[in-house]
Amino acid sequence: MAPLIPQGIINPELNLFFALLLGIGFGYVLEQAGFSSAKKLAGVFYGYDFVVLRVFFTAGITAMTGILFFSYLGWLDMDFVFVNPTFLYSAILGGIIMGFGFIMGGYCPGTGIVAAVTGKTDAMVFIIGMFIGIFVFGHFYQSFESIYTGHFLGNIFVYDSLGMSRAWFALTLAVVAIMAFTITQMIEDRIKKVSPEQIKTRPSYMLPSFLVVIALIVFLFLPEERRSNIREARPPELLAQVHGEDAYISTHRVILEIKHGRDDLILIDTRDQSEFERFSLPGAINIRADEILQRRWRPLFKQDHRRKVFFGNGSSSAMQAWLTAARAGYDNVYILNGGLNRMFSELFVESEMPDTTAYNLQDRSNARFLYEARQFFLEGGLVDQEEDRRQRIKAPEESEIIPVIGGC
Amino acid sequence: MSTIRNNYMNPYLAGFLLGMVLLASYVIAGRGLGASGAARSVVVTTVASAAPEYAEKSPFYAEYFTEVNPMGSWLVFLVVGLILGAFLSGAMANRLRFATDRGPNITVRTRMFFALGGGLLFGLGAQFGRGCTSGSALSGMAVLSTGGMLTMMAIFGTGYLIAYFFRKLWI
Repeated sequence: MAPLIPQGIINPELNLFFALLLGIGFGYVLEQAGFSSAKKLAGVFYGYDFVVLRVFFTAGITAMTGILFFSYLGWLDMDFVFVNPTFLYSAILGGIIMGFGFIMGGYCPGTGIVAAVTGKTDAMVFIIGMFIGIFVFGHFYQSFESIYTGHFLGNIFVYDSLGMSRAWFALTLAVVAIMAFTITQMIEDRIKKVSPEQIKTRPSYMLPSFLVVIALIVFLFLPEERRSNIREARPPELLAQVHGEDAYISTHRVILEIKHGRDDLILIDTRDQSEFERFSLPGAINIRADEILQRRWRPLFKQDHRRKVFFGNGSSSAMQAWLTAARAGYDNVYILNGGLNRMFSELFVESEMPDTTAYNLQDRSNARFLYEARQFFLEGGLVDQEEDRRQRIKAPEESEIIPVIGGC
Repeated sequence: MSTIRNNYMNPYLAGFLLGMVLLASYVIAGRGLGASGAARSVVVTTVASAAPEYAEKSPFYAEYFTEVNPMGSWLVFLVVGLILGAFLSGAMANRLRFATDRGPNITVRTRMFFALGGGLLFGLGAQFGRGCTSGSALSGMAVLSTGGMLTMMAIFGTGYLIAYFFRKLWI
C-alpha cells in the first residue's frame, strides 16, 4: 500500500507539494525544539544541554518503531522505501568530517538553515561555508571518487550486519536511548546545579518509555513471517489456482504471439543460465525461480497489463516461479503449459502438414497453424525479430529502478 | 535563563513530532528527510550555469546536464518548506531577530571564522556521508540502514572525542 507516491496511490505530480508540506513540519519542529541556537546545539558535547540527543533519538526511535510496524503489517512495502546505501569508508569518513564541522560550526545543515531563517548571522556564514565545502568536494571529485564509490555493501540493514533479528535490534536501540536520556539528564542537572525541588516538578516519562518498550517486546514475539505485500495470497488459494486452468497459457498461444512479434507477453525462462544461453525462446529473459522476488525485477512484474509467462523444459521450474510470484501478489502471471518440451514436440514432431481430409475442421486448422509455425521457426523468421524484441524487453530489465534517490 | 528555556517545546514532544514527520515522509514518499541535498543542488546549478566548461569536465556536475532540473527536486522543495516552517515557528514564538550565537569567551570574528570552517567541513562531509545529520544519520536510523548508523556514530563519536580541544569556543 504505502509508500503512497512510489506505489502510485497518490498522484506523483503531488510529490513536490508533499515535500513542501513535510518540509514545513520539519522546519517548525526544529525551530520549536530550540535548534536555532548553536550554543544550545553544541551543549550536547559539553553536558550543559542535551536537547539534540533528546530530540534526535526520540525522533529516530519513533520513526523506526512506526516503520517496523507498518512494514510488518504489510502497509509499508520496504522494497519501495529508500534505504541509505552503505559505502563503508565513505560513510565513516563523512561522519568524522561532519563531527569536526559540528563542533566548530555549532550547526548541522538542517539546523543551520533554521537558525539562519530566524536571523542568526553565524548560521548564515555557516551556510556559505557549506556551499564552499560542497564546491570543494566537486572540484576534487576525481581524487575522492575511489573512496566515495568504493566498498559498496548494498542497501544493507544494520541488524543484518550485526547478525541480530530486526526486533531485537530495535528493542536494544530503544532501551539504550531511554538509558541515555536518563543518564544525560543526571549529567545536565549536575553541571547546571539544578535543585532537587526543581527536578521534582518535571513531568515523568515513565509511561511513554514503558509503552515503546512493551510495543517492541510484543514485536519480538510476533511470528517471523514478514509479509512484503498486503495483497499477498494465501497458500490454499494458490494451490487451487495452480491446479486449475487459469494459471496456464497454451503453447499455441505463445507460438502465435511470437510469430506475430507482439509484445504483450513477457517470456521468462526459469531454467539455469547455461541452458538459457544455449537456447531460449526469442525475446525471453532469464529469471530463475529463486530470483523472482529480487528488487530489480519489480518494475518488470509491476507492468500489470503485460502477461508474464514462465517456462522451463517441463512445467516444474515454471510452476515454482509462478507460485513465488503469485504469492508475492504479482498479477497476470502464467505458466507455459507443458513447457518447451511440449512446444517443440508439437512444432517439430506433430506438425507434418496433413494430407488427409479425415481430420475434422478444428484439427485441420490446428495442424495448419503448427505447420506454418514450424516453417516460420525453421526459416529463421524469428532471427530478425529476436534482436528487436530483446532490446524492447531489456529496457525495463536493466534500469534497476530504485524508486527514489535519496540522500540529504 | 529559565524563562527563555520554557519557551521551547518539550524536547521529547518535539522528538516525537519530528519522528511523526519523518514517518509520514516514508509513508507518503518512501524516503526520509534531508537538508544538505538541496545545498548540493544549489551549488551544482550555480556553478554549472556560471561556468559550463568547468562543470562539464566533472562527473559531480553531471546531474545538471540531464533533463531533470536539480532545483526542481524533492529535496529542494523540502528545504523550501523547512525555511517556511522555521520562519513560521520563529515568528509565532517571537524569536525572529538578528543575533550572533557564540560562546561567552570568543569574539564575533572568531565565531564567524569557525562557523565558516564548520560549514565547509559539514558540506564536504555530507557528500561523503551521502547526507547530513538528517538525511543520513536520522533517516538512516529510522530505516536501520548500516551506512546511516555508521555515519551517525561517526558524527557524534568524533564530536565527543574532539570536544575537549574546542571547548574554548563554547564554554
